[in-house]
Amino acid sequence: MGLFALVVALRFAMVGTIKVGILFSCTGPYSSIGRDCRDGAALAFAEASEMAGEGMSFEPVYTDPEGEPRAYLEQARAMLRDGCRLIIGTITSLARKEVIPLIEKHDGLLWYICPYEGFEANENVIYTGACPNQHLMPLFEHLLPKQGRRVYLIGANYVWGWEMNRIARDLLRDAGGEVVGERCLPIEETDVDRLIADIQSRRPDFILNNMIGPSSHAFLRAYKALGDADPAFRPEVRPVVSCDLTEAEIGEIGLGLSTGHLSAASYFGTLATPENERFRARAATALGADRRLSSFVEGAYVAAHMLMDAVRSAGTDEPAAVRAAVHARLFETPHGPMRIDPRTNHAALPFHLGRIRDDGNFDIIASRPAMAADPYMTAPRDGGRSSLRVVS
Amino acid sequence: MTVIPDLVGLKAAILHRPDEGTARLVRQLGLLGLEAHVQWTPLDLEATPADIVLVDADQGWSGLLPWAGEPAPVPMVALLQSEAPGRVAWAISEGALSILPKPVVPAAVYPALVLAVAAHARAVEAAARMERLEERLRMRPLVHAAVRSIEMAAQCDEEAAYASLRRAAMKRRITIEQTAAEMLAGVIPLSEAG
Repeated sequence: MGLFALVVALRFAMVGTIKVGILFSCTGPYSSIGRDCRDGAALAFAEASEMAGEGMSFEPVYTDPEGEPRAYLEQARAMLRDGCRLIIGTITSLARKEVIPLIEKHDGLLWYICPYEGFEANENVIYTGACPNQHLMPLFEHLLPKQGRRVYLIGANYVWGWEMNRIARDLLRDAGGEVVGERCLPIEETDVDRLIADIQSRRPDFILNNMIGPSSHAFLRAYKALGDADPAFRPEVRPVVSCDLTEAEIGEIGLGLSTGHLSAASYFGTLATPENERFRARAATALGADRRLSSFVEGAYVAAHMLMDAVRSAGTDEPAAVRAAVHARLFETPHGPMRIDPRTNHAALPFHLGRIRDDGNFDIIASRPAMAADPYMTAPRDGGRSSLRVVS
Repeated sequence: MTVIPDLVGLKAAILHRPDEGTARLVRQLGLLGLEAHVQWTPLDLEATPADIVLVDADQGWSGLLPWAGEPAPVPMVALLQSEAPGRVAWAISEGALSILPKPVVPAAVYPALVLAVAAHARAVEAAARMERLEERLRMRPLVHAAVRSIEMAAQCDEEAAYASLRRAAMKRRITIEQTAAEMLAGVIPLSEAG
């Protein structure tokens, strides 16, 4: 028996520990998102290590590319050479696109957890963030009939902003809407005076905000000042609507400054389900009771658990086997059961529309059950005529 | 027969943030006999002449290339990784004639260059031909006017008048339209057509 135990121990020392790369920018312009992602993943790995001894163990390898595309490349390469075949990470599409060729070359598997602009379905990537048919399309279907069809589009000056604005233009054209203005700003640009002045003169029904980081925060603060000076620009009259603004960033903008504006997400911390109650309790213990939980915390937590579950059932971290294991089952998550479509490698996700509260959390005002991802937007559209079930 | 364009000696401008990929691209262009430079600032063909332009279509912005809305004066290759339709549309609108996928694989460089250079040559030729045809179309009323003048002067029918206009054009080795214009302007005497 002693010898057997020794052999088992040795075997585990050799193949039992699976290294997983965690590649998020926790410093730099979108660091609050990166920290939520890292913390969500860390929570899942901590839970797994508490149950160690039941099988394989996992060793997360954390790095911080600080928002630099080249650093993403170098750090991903180091991870892959260091034996991490599975990586959870990247936030911007720019970074994801940098890393994917390396992942392909080394036959690794990337878990991408952020909402993005679609038009990608790589064999070596598992997409657990929403694409436009899961965020922007249901958002417009809900909002256009209620809020109006004259929309001002603002975006970050890279593919997320450009492409989201383009899709919005298409959807508005199909729905008989109107783009009353469009601007893109660099992520770190905080001079928003001209943008605010333009919005003030064009008076859109709402503003679709596809900016991220400092420019988005500066805009929301300046828009608050505009609303204070002129009630026609208060959030209940002309809201700012985003597909990527979460609990992660509300504190950075300043509590109370973005209250009343709207966001689409597949998860909000306030989601009232037994699964989420359990997740909130665990997160409160690990991250602090006052930590607001965003779709980034939850998304990384879900991805890390899914990764570990798939590796355990595959018995290896060999990417083809892990992918097959991911496709084969339904995963329990705080936002409900989740399935990955073998055809697209994308998650089916629910849609929620949230309204920002003074405490930085969201009131969920409309929801739609999980829907399959359509990354290339090939499904026929109804021109935004269908509407959502309003839950409150 | 299709003639493969000669690339040797051409100057290439690579509009892209310098990185490992652009280094690989410069090396491969050198092997193909081109002289390449990398810049991530708006192109100025007078300051840095280029015979071919390779542009980052993932990150490129309007204003990076100086020919807004006009046909590109040199062949252009889009360096592209994104599948986003908006990015492909940007490449088309700026005049890209072929795509070189990123990360750059050396073996893909030569075919992308040849396609762009050949397509550009064909486009230039087609544009010149179209310009000639449009010119002739614009001058068509002059031909009618000249034919009528010849009919009156020579007391012949329309067919005979047109035939004599054609003879005059052939004699001078210029187009019928130009002959008609010069005849109406009095440069060529009507009697010569008769």
